[in-house]
Parts: sequence; C-alpha cells; structure tokens
Amino acid sequence: MLLQQLVNGIMIGSVYALTAMGATLIYGILRILDIANAAAYAVGAYLGWYIYTLTNNLFLAFFLAMILTGLIGVLVEKYIYLPIISKPNVITIVPLITSVGLFTLTGDLLRLIAGPNVKSLGVKLRIGVLQIGNLRINPEWIFIIILTALLFSILWFILNKTKLGLAWRATASDSEIAQAMGVNINVSMALSYILGYGFAASAGIMVGLLYNSIYPTMGDIPSYKMLAIIVLGGLGNPVGTVLAGLLIGLSETLVAAYIGSIMPRDVIAFLVLIIVLLVKPSGLISKKNA
Amino acid sequence: MYLIVVSVNIGIFILLALSLNIITGYAGQAALGHAAFFGIGAYTSAIMTSNYGFSFWISLPVAFMVSGIVGIGLGLISIRMKDDFLAITTIGVNFVIVALFQYSSFFGASLGMTVKKPMFFGMRMNTSGYLILITIIIIITCYFIHKMNKSWFGLALSSIRNDEMVASSLGIDVNKYKILAFSLGTAIAGIAGAVYAHHMTFIYSSDFAFTVSIGILSMVVIGGIGTIRGPILGAILLGAAPELFRFFADYRMIVYGGLLVLMMRFQPQGIFGNDSFITRNFIQAYKNIFKKKVGDIIE
Amino acid sequence: MKRKLKSLLLVSLALMMAFSMVACNSKPVETNDDPIRIGFFAPITGPAAADGLSTSNSAELAVEIVNGNGGINGRKVEIVKYDDGLDTKQAVNIAQKLTTNDNVVAVVSGSYSGPTRVAAPIFQEAGIPMISGYAIHPEVTQSGDFIFSQSFSGAVQGKAGGVVAVDMLKAKRISIIAVDIDFGKELSESFTQYVEANGAEVVSLDKFAMSDSEFGPVITKLKEEVKPDLIYMANYYGHGAEIVRQVKNMDFDVQILGTEGIDSYQFLEIAGEDAEGVILTTNMDRDSEDESTQTYIKTYTEKYGLIPDMVGASVYDAFQVLFKVIEEVGTEPEDIRDAIKELKNFRTVTGVLIEYAPSREAIKPVQIQIIENGEFHYFDRIEDLDIITPVPK
Repeated sequence: MLLQQLVNGIMIGSVYALTAMGATLIYGILRILDIANAAAYAVGAYLGWYIYTLTNNLFLAFFLAMILTGLIGVLVEKYIYLPIISKPNVITIVPLITSVGLFTLTGDLLRLIAGPNVKSLGVKLRIGVLQIGNLRINPEWIFIIILTALLFSILWFILNKTKLGLAWRATASDSEIAQAMGVNINVSMALSYILGYGFAASAGIMVGLLYNSIYPTMGDIPSYKMLAIIVLGGLGNPVGTVLAGLLIGLSETLVAAYIGSIMPRDVIAFLVLIIVLLVKPSGLISKKNA
Repeated sequence: MYLIVVSVNIGIFILLALSLNIITGYAGQAALGHAAFFGIGAYTSAIMTSNYGFSFWISLPVAFMVSGIVGIGLGLISIRMKDDFLAITTIGVNFVIVALFQYSSFFGASLGMTVKKPMFFGMRMNTSGYLILITIIIIITCYFIHKMNKSWFGLALSSIRNDEMVASSLGIDVNKYKILAFSLGTAIAGIAGAVYAHHMTFIYSSDFAFTVSIGILSMVVIGGIGTIRGPILGAILLGAAPELFRFFADYRMIVYGGLLVLMMRFQPQGIFGNDSFITRNFIQAYKNIFKKKVGDIIE
Repeated sequence: MKRKLKSLLLVSLALMMAFSMVACNSKPVETNDDPIRIGFFAPITGPAAADGLSTSNSAELAVEIVNGNGGINGRKVEIVKYDDGLDTKQAVNIAQKLTTNDNVVAVVSGSYSGPTRVAAPIFQEAGIPMISGYAIHPEVTQSGDFIFSQSFSGAVQGKAGGVVAVDMLKAKRISIIAVDIDFGKELSESFTQYVEANGAEVVSLDKFAMSDSEFGPVITKLKEEVKPDLIYMANYYGHGAEIVRQVKNMDFDVQILGTEGIDSYQFLEIAGEDAEGVILTTNMDRDSEDESTQTYIKTYTEKYGLIPDMVGASVYDAFQVLFKVIEEVGTEPEDIRDAIKELKNFRTVTGVLIEYAPSREAIKPVQIQIIENGEFHYFDRIEDLDIITPVPK
C-alpha cells in the first residue's frame, strides 16, 4: 500500500506544482502575490470546457485555452498591474488587494455566464489502466503526468535555452541591473504573464478533467494553497516550486492514509510551510537558479 | 432595527480594521491572518460565558488578553521572517487556528458554539446595546491610537516602517516594538471577537477564515492605510457594500470586486489616505475656508 | 486637533443613538388587497450557489403556481428573496430586514445550517414563523416554537441509513467517510449508533473538510487494508461523486450508501456511469405515483431545464405547508405557527408529512433510492415510526 500511496502523493503533488507554477513565474519578475492566478485557473478550465464541447478535441481545447488565458494575462498585466506597481511608493499589499478584487469579480462573472452548476468534461480516455503488480495508475493520471512533464520541459527549455529565457532570468535576479544591461524588462513581464496565466489555465483544465467537474468557485482552494507552495519553494523559484508541490502532495497523502483525519487537508500545507520557514526562513531553495 | 444590526456589524469591522492598521499601517508589518485573532477573542469569551458561566463583562478583558498573548507569538515569528514570507506565514497561522476551532471538541468542533446574550443591569442586552458598546470601544481605541501616534512608541513604529535597519541603528529596540504592535493589534481584534460572538449568538470556525482576514485588510487599504479615518471609512464602505448593493442582487459581488480593482488601480493610497484625491481636495477646501496651514490637518 | 477628534466622535455616537431610536418604526396597516409576503433566503452567490439556484427556482415555482391558481383566498403571494452568500453575518442582516422592514408573515430558509442557525433566533424573537428547508443543525429548531424544519433531523436520517446498511443490505463491516461539518457529524454519529447496536461493525471513519475533493489516498487505504463491505458517505454531491469515481477507478467492489447530500442531478453529472448502483436515503421518491410529486418534477424540469433535487423539493414543500395553513387560518403569525403545529397527514412532494414532532422537525417517511440508468429510482421506503420519529435530546 505504501508504494501506491507514494505514487498517489507524487501525482497530486505534480498537479500542485503545476497550479503554483504560474504564480511563481509572476512573482519571479513582478514580486506580486497574484491571487488572481486562481481566477486564471478557473477561466482556463471554463475555456477548455467550452472549446472541448465545441470541437470534441481535448488537445486543441487544452492548448487553445492556455494561449487564450495567457493573452488575457498580458492584458491584465499591461492595464492593471503594471500601472499600479510603477507608481512611486506603492506598498506591497496594493497589488495583492487588486488581485483579490480580480479574483472575486471573475468568480462571479463565471457564475453569471455559465451558471453555478458543475460542468462535466465527460472525457473518456482511450488509454487503459496502467497496472504494475499491485500498483494502479488511472488513465487520467497518465495523461496528466505526461502533460505536466511536457509543460515543465518546455518551461525549462524556454528559461534556460532561449534568449527570452536569459532575459527573464536576468530580470528575475535583479531587474535594475538587467535593464542597465539592455534587457527589455517589459518583454520579461509579458512573458511572465503569458506563461503564468497559461500554466494556471493548464492546471485548471487538468484538475477539471481529473475530478470531472468545473464550477465557478473551483479557484477558491488554489487561491491560497498555491501561495503556501510558492513561498515554501523560495518565492519566485520554479525548481523550488516543483519540490514544494511534491512535498505538500506527499505530506497530505501520507497523513490521510496513515494518520487519518486529524486536521483538514488544506492545513497540512500551511503547517509544513510554517515548520520549514521557522527552520529556514527563505524557503526550500532560496538561490534563484531556474 | 435592520440599520442597527448592520451598524453593529460594521462597528465590529471598524474595530478590526483599526487594530490591523496598528500592525500593517503603523508598524508596516504584513499580516494576512487577522481573522484568527478575531476568532480567538470570540471563542475565548464564548467558552467563558457559555461553558463556565462567567459574565460577558469579565470575558471582554480576558479575550483582549488571550488574543494579545497569542499575538506575541506572531510578533516573534515576524522577527524571524520578512515581507512576503511573513505575509504567507500569517495566512498559515490563520488556517491552523481555524482548523483548531473546527477539529477540537473543546471549541464545539463542527457544530460551532452557541452563545447566550449577556445581561446588563438585569436586562438582556439588545441590539442597540451592542451598538452603544461597540461605539464606545471604537472611541476609546481611536483616542488611544491618537495618543500612541504622538508618543515615543508611535515614532518608533513609524521609523521601523520606514527602514528597520536605520531604526535599529538609531538605538530603537526593533524587536520589542514589533512584538508590542502585533500584541496590541491582535488584542483589540480579540475584543471585537468577544462582541461579535455575543452579538451573533452563534459562532463557527469558518466565520474567522482567511477570506475574512483579506476583507479586513481590504478595508484598511481602501480607506487609507496608516491613518485613523482611513480604516474607519473603509470598514463603513466595504461593510455596507453587500447591503447597499442588494438591489443589484446578482451583480453585487462583481461590483464589489470591480470596485476593489478600480480603487487600487487609481487610488492605491486609499480613498481617504494621506495624499488621496479626496483628502487633497478636502484639505484645499478647508484651507480656502479657514485659511489654515495644511500641516495642522494631516496627522 | 484633539478637541476636534473628540467632538467628531461624540457627534458620531449621538448620531448612532438617534439612529437606533428612529429605526424602531411601526408596522404599516395591512389590507386585503395587499399581497401576502413570504420571506426567503438562500446562498445564491458563493460556494453553495448551485443549491441556492435549486432552492430559489423551487421557491419561485411554488409562488408562481399558487398565484396561477388565483392565490390564497383571493390574495396574491409575493416572495421577498435575499442572497446570504453562505455568510452568517449577511444572514443576520437579512433576518433583521425581513422581520422589521419587509412586513413578511412567514419565512422559508433555503440555506445551509450556519445562516439558518443565526437567523432562527431573530425570527423567534420577532414572532415570525420560519420553516427551514433542509438545514440539519439540531439547534435550528431549538431556537423556539416559531421555528420548524421541513427535513427530518440528521439523527433520523443517520438511523435510517443504518437500517438500510444492516437490515436491508446485510453489511457487516462498514467504513464511514464523512464531511466534517454538522451534516456529516450528525448523520455519521447516529448511523454508527444504530449499526453497532444491530450487529455490524464500523471499521473506519474518515473525516474530511468541506473543500476537499481528493479521495485517492483514503480509498486506497480502504481497498487495501480496511476491506469493508459497505461505504457510508455522509457528505455532499461533489465529495460523493469523487468517492464513487475513485472506487470504480480502483476496481474496488463495494456497496456504496449515500445520503440526501448526494441527491442532486450534479452528482449524476459528475459521477456519470460510476454512480450506477449507489443507494441513498433521501426525502423525494422519483417513482412516486403521487400527483403533486410528478407535477413538481415535470413543471420544474420544463421551466428550468434542470432536474429537481432534494434541496429544491424541501423548499417547495415548505411553501406548500405555508400556503395550506395561511389558507386555513389567515396571516397572523401566531395562528400560522399554531396551524403548522397541528398539521397532520399533509401530502407534499416528498411524501406524506405525518406531523411535526415536538422538536418541530417534520416526521415523514425516509425514501431509499437507487441510481439506475443515470436516474434516481425507488428502492425501498422506511415508514416505521420508531425510526423516523426524532428522539428528543
């Protein structure tokens, strides 16, 4: 049973990592705790559902929804966040409150447009169950693991092997020096939001697929859980985020399996966070190397 | 009666916003878990009056103290962690404390806690009574904060807010004042909790969830952080908003969210904060009428 | 400056006091041409918005039908509807507004336990009868003699679940998965009490938070180590659907018994084929031959394009009860209260309401439904008064 539970934990953890990745990328450049990333998660899920019902093509739905949500992200960055953070003497709470406002607004807009009821994707995957000895992995999970790995590889490639990525990393480590060296930080910011909201959208669709349910308030839990994960991962560090996601997925699973219901699942993430931060106040990985 | 009940609710949030403002506005420390201390005060007084038969009037100062003592713990954390790390940790503290209320049968667990209405000189306290009580507490708090700003303590806090390093190099005991600010802010939130519990007559763990903390913070920021009038007016505005917008019915949460975004986009210093559009014009008008110096008005 | 601050605060205090005097205004006189106003509140926004939609649809349907038939004794019925957002603070405001500003003769709650629980004492104090549709918290009706519940208590339904598990399905080893709020707690406690007194064993109890949707670890544990022959789910449709999907995904052969919490078309929507064979205790029998039940199901489906569920049916019934007693005794709140207390053998869409218990909770048969071909169907019914009468606490 332990093996199965470890696999369960890693699978859940990878979804967490994917969910939090968007927020990490945005924090990396703009230093904003962007709760509205969870709104992008729900918007992405709805767009994915809508495109899927129109075309019946899961991959198309997936990538089109990611791109559309990413574009919305750029608009949000350009017309809302950028003007706010470029004002002098703005305290860090201001963008946070802005993102809360955006999150509230989007959630209720989705309810008005699509109704409060749960939408089911109703995708039947044609791949079978993977069975190794006693270990069972369901088709949805196989699909999610492959896609997550693919997305993380693409991200790694963009950040490490392209000029765009170099500029991003330079901006992340010190935006003023990067600017002085001739890096166009506006492009880095736009990239953050395209990737950030795109990743959130992909996580939303995957979770919608996994639980076969898409509803207006589906972003509520990610809105705070991803904060725990990105801080645990060292704030703005993509590798740290993956590790933190896995750590929290595993902790939750093992507690649910072996200790039982001593506390709500959401609390486990924050308890892990508080313990880790008290020992190491800058998160799991504090050096910024993407 | 409806207006009074709404006013009591708003009054409780004025107190919460004022108390959070001590931590976030004056001391400049991120605190996103204020509702937890609101909850600690509420549960402390509820347990005292319902389970042990103490009077509500005794439970008020006890709630103040218990919240303040737990708040010292948060202050200690703030010494070790900075900025956004601290902000998220305070969210974590909020979740852990709510989970404690939710899972421990001492706090009524999943059934919540029923609270009896208190007596006041042999009479059951009614809603108007609560309104008077909360108004008096708010006045005392305002007076106290006003005094504090003029004192050495207030000056120390504002230097910590501006630059911790400079403050400590000037010989200010940064840690001591940070802990004091946290403890004071959370203690006042505890009083608000005690009044809330007895006003609602029923409390449940999710009444003190993270979203409530965000709501309180929004009041402080929308109103104008670091002033007395800001949190008060912010709490009135956002506290009344769900009721004011009732005629919008289906659209009211959208209006609420949209207001937050627009306000932050165009008035990040809060509507009534120093140097906000309204305050500037108000001062200008005041100056024209009374021919006074601007410096007298801004605190 | 100091003096200014002080005077400002004094003025505000005086204003607030004046406020409190003025606001206690008196009721306007009612005439026969005015509509009969009935208050209603539900979580139309927020996390329970889907249930809010079901209940507010049902409430409006009930009013529309009664007005279509000429109203009550020639007077139209008007509904005063509010959204509580599943927030107790708003519920208190609403209750105060309904009792003092809106001039309603009675109120129906279409909300969960929290908002209903804080609103109940306010209606009790104001002397306005409230019928709660489906709130399960035992203290709701304990608020006083003006407060009724249209649903059977959590203890009754838990016991009925025990009857199904032990007496009908002959389960011996039972696992419970319960949501950690009053609903899950009340049901799982009385369920456990019944099954343990009747020869079965509860081999595991897993509680989880309302917001949870990941049940993989728990189902893995049940399948590989606990090996129960029945899983009792005291939770809502979202959780229930994920549990049955996990069970089927893992090829875990176990009977699943649910509660009224999964009596929703949304359960069928999410769980799809995996819901087949799930049995549940609830209050509406879809196969009932009763005319009013079938009319309700038919008109609701036609009007809203949705399949009615348990929360909607309960609220619809609460309105039927009010219409019936108002027709008989008029609109004085005390008379309405007394008439509800005296009501006996009243046909509702959720079966025959036998009467209200002294605790003011409805006594009515518990329906056992089974999911077949993606629909709820008749499985059995519990009418034994020993089971369905709430035991006073």
